[in-house]
Amino acid sequence: MNNYKLFLKFIKQKSIFVMLLVIALSAVLSLSLQKGVLLTAVHAEEAGVELPAFEEGAASGEQQQTAEGTSAAGAEGEAKAEEEEEGELEPVQYRAFFGLDSRVIVWIVSELHLMFAAFVLGVPIFAVIVEIVGFKGGDIKYDKMAKEFTKLLSAAFATTASLGGLLAFSLFGLYPEFMGHMTNVFAPTMYVYALMFFGEAFTLYGYYYSWDILKGTSAKKWFHISLGVLLNLFGTGLMFLTNSWATYMMGPSGVSMKTGRLLSLSEAFYNELWMPVNIHRLIANVCFGGFIVGAYAAVKFLGAKTKEEKAHYDWMGYVGNFIGIGALIPLPFAGYWLGREIYSASPVMGNIMMGGAFSWTFIIQAILIGMLFIGANYYLWLGMGRIKGSERYTGYIKYLNVIIFMCFAVWLTPHNLPLSGEERAMIGEQYHPFSKYFGVMAAKNAVVNLIILSTFFSFLIYRRSNKGTMVAFSEQGKVGKIGVLSGLGFCLMMLVSYAISLNFVELDAQIKGYVTPLIFALYIQSLVVCLAVFLTFKNKGKLGQFILFGVTTCIAVLYFWYYGFQVMQKANLVLRYLSVTQVSIVMSCLIMNAVIDIFMFRKAKVVGEITWGKMPVRSQYALLLLCIVIVILMGLMGFIRSGLRMDWHVYGLLQDTSQWAYTPTLSFMGRVVGLIVALFLGLVAFVFWLANLGDKKVKTEAE
Amino acid sequence: MNKTMLKIVAFGVAVIGFYMYITVYVTGLSGTGGGETAGGVTPEAGEQIFWGDGQCSTCHKIGSSGSATRGPDQEGLAERAEERAKKLGMSSGLDYMIESIVEPDKYVVDGYDKIMPKVFDPPIMLSREKILAVIAYLQTLGGEPDIDAIMKFKDKIPEASKTKVKPWVSPMEVTAEEGEQVFFDESLNVTCGKCHMVSGKGKKVGPELTGIGAIQTPEYFVESILTPSTVIVKGYETVFVVTVDGIPYNGLIKSDTEQELTLIVEESGSMEEVVIPKAEIEDMKKQEVSIMPGNISELLSVRQFYAVIAYLRSLK
Repeated sequence: MNNYKLFLKFIKQKSIFVMLLVIALSAVLSLSLQKGVLLTAVHAEEAGVELPAFEEGAASGEQQQTAEGTSAAGAEGEAKAEEEEEGELEPVQYRAFFGLDSRVIVWIVSELHLMFAAFVLGVPIFAVIVEIVGFKGGDIKYDKMAKEFTKLLSAAFATTASLGGLLAFSLFGLYPEFMGHMTNVFAPTMYVYALMFFGEAFTLYGYYYSWDILKGTSAKKWFHISLGVLLNLFGTGLMFLTNSWATYMMGPSGVSMKTGRLLSLSEAFYNELWMPVNIHRLIANVCFGGFIVGAYAAVKFLGAKTKEEKAHYDWMGYVGNFIGIGALIPLPFAGYWLGREIYSASPVMGNIMMGGAFSWTFIIQAILIGMLFIGANYYLWLGMGRIKGSERYTGYIKYLNVIIFMCFAVWLTPHNLPLSGEERAMIGEQYHPFSKYFGVMAAKNAVVNLIILSTFFSFLIYRRSNKGTMVAFSEQGKVGKIGVLSGLGFCLMMLVSYAISLNFVELDAQIKGYVTPLIFALYIQSLVVCLAVFLTFKNKGKLGQFILFGVTTCIAVLYFWYYGFQVMQKANLVLRYLSVTQVSIVMSCLIMNAVIDIFMFRKAKVVGEITWGKMPVRSQYALLLLCIVIVILMGLMGFIRSGLRMDWHVYGLLQDTSQWAYTPTLSFMGRVVGLIVALFLGLVAFVFWLANLGDKKVKTEAE
Repeated sequence: MNKTMLKIVAFGVAVIGFYMYITVYVTGLSGTGGGETAGGVTPEAGEQIFWGDGQCSTCHKIGSSGSATRGPDQEGLAERAEERAKKLGMSSGLDYMIESIVEPDKYVVDGYDKIMPKVFDPPIMLSREKILAVIAYLQTLGGEPDIDAIMKFKDKIPEASKTKVKPWVSPMEVTAEEGEQVFFDESLNVTCGKCHMVSGKGKKVGPELTGIGAIQTPEYFVESILTPSTVIVKGYETVFVVTVDGIPYNGLIKSDTEQELTLIVEESGSMEEVVIPKAEIEDMKKQEVSIMPGNISELLSVRQFYAVIAYLRSLK
């Protein structure tokens, strides 16, 4: 009864809005009926996308129904009679939604869906990791934080599903021919997708609602963690499935490129770009989840009224940022792999990406990634302020700043500039004689690796800020030794196995010689990793780390920068092996240094405790910046990935002949992505507010 | 909304605004929409296409211009083309250049992969004129452009397809097995197997169809069945013969000797052999009409028709 009264009161208060809504709905309905929108839609779908090109109307839905036992001529006659009655039926390729730009509609809806999906996939990974850390370490605050975020997931999940439904309807409604083709190729996987969605929903709600029930014993907690893992498996499976559809559009395989006929579903599914996009998105989602958590904590920190609250949200922000950076570091490697595979799938598309129309988007990407790395480093440096003893390391920060900014200057350098004849005559060639060397891949790979090494160095000085006198490694017992030797084993396996495999690559004899320096570099790095471990065992771990950092920088950054140009000029085919070698060397440095650092400082004397909550306000804005920038970056990269197809729905196979097939300008893209980001952040804030409504009520009642 | 929240929203708006400003700035920097364009078959137009629409610079550089190394450096190409043409027994360097574009896999320079796409095919789809312009530009690299000579080769370059590439999808679910039954079913008004052979089954009056699915498209099958005279396979053209008695025959030549001509003609839906002594032939003309019945749409149901198409597509 109370609800009924409340409802009436609401109607009374909002009567103008209700009336406007009713008028709007009536207008839409009458317009639809007047224009025959509903009727046309039904017939158009019957005629659908499956009309063969030879005879109009011969394959209309009606004729299919009567085809059995009727002569083709008879069926044609019937179709003609019906045409006379209802007018000619054309196969529908495109529709518009009240004259709006269909592509922008799909663009906005799909981006919003993808961003929410990234949140719904990224945060559970974050939640399970945090839950495990809390359970193993016995720290209840980790458990609380994991639960807090799972609660937010429940509300976000429904929004994601709604946006997914809207996206599917938009695509089927506005691009029926294209979706007909996609359904024709991927229909079986669509059923699997729907079934997995059930799995995702059940495990998500099971994971959240069983949190308090599955507490108490170790077995119960592990069961709960298993539910979380299952939730992540379903989520990742869903993402992998939809990735295959998106990557098929970029690099179709398993179909006849002349007729579009499906030859092999497995090949269409496991296309060339599928796995690179899977890995890239998986890592990006973790990064995204981490930074969203960081922003949530920052908002809470800024609004906190007590010291305890500030301390809690400062700590939460730190954890979010830690996971965000952790995932950000390998992201450029995954991105490089994806880019390389795009080149392999289609050199033309690769050129559009890095040397053509889209190369300018990578300038914007570089600015955004620069903001991410600088923001993350800045947050770490500010974070050192709450740690006693960190003064010993603050001197390094200015050097790190210089390195990172210089790296970005190189990263921002475009490969080529569109020049007028006059400008080209002045310069003397198509590309700038000096800057072009900073625009090519060899230079960009080198500086990306340097940025990663610098950020990792920032993290190392942060984590040892409050560490004092160390316990000699030789006195640390078996755990330290096993840990460091395991790290060594892993690094050697990675480096040596790749070095051996390089001996067997099939290349012409004249080119193969260019692989030899790579093999040497891998063996040198292996020796240096061994040397670092040896020095650690001799209680000179810091020297070992220093040598490892130094040699890695010399090989992966300086030498490969130079050698990359040589290879590009003389043995281009070797470039891909060079990049993998470069990544392997840097990864071995990061892994080995991290392992050494963990065990070297394991029992070190603590100079001063971390004073959680003692962070300047600007540090929280750094967290907010990281979150906003990663969302913008997702929007931008979505535009690039999708836009690379230019005027093709399915690249090289199904052309986009709609009026929206042109590539929009960067400024238009900027406005659309800006709008998407604002909408997403607004919706997320709304969802968070909704999810916390219950808590507010409980708090008020308690007071 | 409290003050803190307002500050947060303002900060968010500022960051998004900064991003939007950057995109506007970069749009101006990138020169989108600017610049003059040259047209026609000229080296100037070709140069623009080389670095632009043609995507040639994806893989080729020219001396110190560009840095792509997937394909050979094109500096001095005209001279090298002459040398290679001599080596390969071609008429001229121009001939070599044109072959390299039309059949890029035919001759691949040592040390490079077979990665060059056919630029007149999707996704690049350069028009014939644009390709000729690029060739004119390439001739300037170590030589002099000769537009007249280039134009003589124009027919060697295929025209880019302007029609939309659209995948063919059968309008009804039929199986190849169903189609095979129709193909060889002698109880129907028309039996494909009476004239076409598939894997040793059927008769070889018309072209053999073993493996046809691997080389022909569904559109081709549809056209060949509904309007068989549109494309007649070489060797299966029909002849029109009139005897001295005024009897006309329209059929396929089975054998042609000094004494007699053996034709396969259609009589009441079946194929019959007719032997005509050469002395009795008054007139003989090649026809542009296929011997295959032109009314198959009346003889098969829609379902049977699509089943046959499905069967033909499966013959790989």
